[in-house]
Amino acid sequence: MTVYESDLPGVGKKHEIELHGDERLVVVTHNTGKREVFRRADADSDAEKLFELPDGLARTVGTVLEGAYFQPIATENIDTVLGGDALIEWYEVPDDSELAGETIEAADVRQRTGASIIAVEHGDEVTPNPDPGAGVHAGDTVVVIGSREEVDSFHATFIASAGDGDEGHRDDGGDDGAGTVRD
Amino acid sequence: MAVGPDAAVVGDLHGLLALGVLIAAATLVAAVGRRVGIPTVPLYVLGGVLVGPHVAGAVGLPSIAPAEVLTLAEVGVVLLLFFLGLEFSIDRLIDARRKLSAAAAVDLFVNFPVGVALGLLFGLGPLGAFLVGGIVYISSSAVITKSLVDLGWIADPEAEPVLGTLVAEDLVIAVYLALAVALVAGGSPVDALPRIAVALGFLIAVAAAAQLLAPRLAPYLGTSDEDLVVRTLAVALVVSGLALAVGASEAVAGFFVGVGVGATPLHDRVADRIAPLRDAFAVVFFAWVGLNTDPVAVAGVAAFVLAAAALSGPTKVISGAVGGRLYDLSPRRSLRTGLALVARGEFSLIIAALAATSPDPTIARVIPAFAVGYVLVMAFAGTLAMSEADRIERLLGVADG
Repeated sequence: MTVYESDLPGVGKKHEIELHGDERLVVVTHNTGKREVFRRADADSDAEKLFELPDGLARTVGTVLEGAYFQPIATENIDTVLGGDALIEWYEVPDDSELAGETIEAADVRQRTGASIIAVEHGDEVTPNPDPGAGVHAGDTVVVIGSREEVDSFHATFIASAGDGDEGHRDDGGDDGAGTVRD
Repeated sequence: MAVGPDAAVVGDLHGLLALGVLIAAATLVAAVGRRVGIPTVPLYVLGGVLVGPHVAGAVGLPSIAPAEVLTLAEVGVVLLLFFLGLEFSIDRLIDARRKLSAAAAVDLFVNFPVGVALGLLFGLGPLGAFLVGGIVYISSSAVITKSLVDLGWIADPEAEPVLGTLVAEDLVIAVYLALAVALVAGGSPVDALPRIAVALGFLIAVAAAAQLLAPRLAPYLGTSDEDLVVRTLAVALVVSGLALAVGASEAVAGFFVGVGVGATPLHDRVADRIAPLRDAFAVVFFAWVGLNTDPVAVAGVAAFVLAAAALSGPTKVISGAVGGRLYDLSPRRSLRTGLALVARGEFSLIIAALAATSPDPTIARVIPAFAVGYVLVMAFAGTLAMSEADRIERLLGVADG
């Protein structure tokens, strides 16, 4: 892939990025900061404008395309996949969960689901590695570790059974930005 | 640009109100014309014509005398050229010299002689012909750059020779204006020689200072945006004002101040902050040209304008197309390069304003009227040539595929 840079006196700068064959993506950066993005199917065809962005937005979109930009969206559960099958997941304890107002031992978390609670967040206070006798309250956030199956079982027993069932995994459409280029 | 022959005309509107009415008329006419796709530069001129002594004044309505806004119009000229200087880079010119110098030479040696021939043909004498040559030669950066962006040509390969040619023209026009100012002032060669020497010497000193001192002086322009704008303006106006005082071109002095600032790291910020000022003052300049314009005089040179348009439109397309070929573009893209360069505008009007100061009454009367009519026709024709490029390509049989 080659990127060609040229000056546009009085306007700004132009970058042409080789895509497949003769197809090129042309980015015109105006002195005002505005970016215009064009696509040219081959050397003979005229550039067709895809979109334009003001300076600030262009930078944000740029970091998203680069993969460096990450802004977690607020979801009820956020998981982190470790190696193999293991994962760590965050859950907020619903009001009517069996876990609410119980100790970890009394709820028999480990025996019933196979998953372990590795931290409890109560308001601003975080208890890492809680004792089995530690209490969990409605509205606390618990951090759970286990295999996918165990974590799902924890979710089914203590979280979803409380009736909200809101799965918020973050497999959202990360391809949107590239989609305009590919067509 | 000093006070033209019409400066003696007394208007009824003065000071703040004169300026306000002038700008309002310019922007109103521009708003109406923009709906039908006419570029704004000639429309601002037209707005000025309407509220000037020759139209509003002639029918007994309150009018504005050109002298009311002369200084602000001069600021407009200085800032227009300051911006050319800001974007002008000797290094860039040297990088592209092989292709560009050939393309720029074709542009100059085709179009300038066409203008000179027209000037001689219409009986304006050698100096008049020299001025018409400049008016006909120089394309409009403002009109063309805007069309390139509006039509999306900016992302196509023809943008490079078009913008390159415009930059080369900027350098030619700086040298040209320096000479023209000295020549227009007239007088016997013996009297004129020391004056010309002082004027050119001053500009050379400014140019040298821009190259050598600018990087060292740049820190004194300040760090806040406010300081930067105010001090840059102060330097540009003092230097260009001094140029006027010694009989040199204030526009060219402004150009070199721009070159100096452009060579420093302040370039982008200055461009950002001064651009709105330039836009506002340039409107005053264009409208001021309109105040000086008598529509009857423009109608009187209609044959001259039409002959010039009919001749210099096609020659610009041809010279531009040759330039495109020199940049290794396809025939179709070369044609588009030529079509893009047709529009004439602000610089032709700057030359016209200079002609208005000539002691030769024929030059002072005919050339400004010619330039206004010519710019009206060519700005519109150039914009039309670009938006109708597809049809013109098919007509000439150079459409690819």
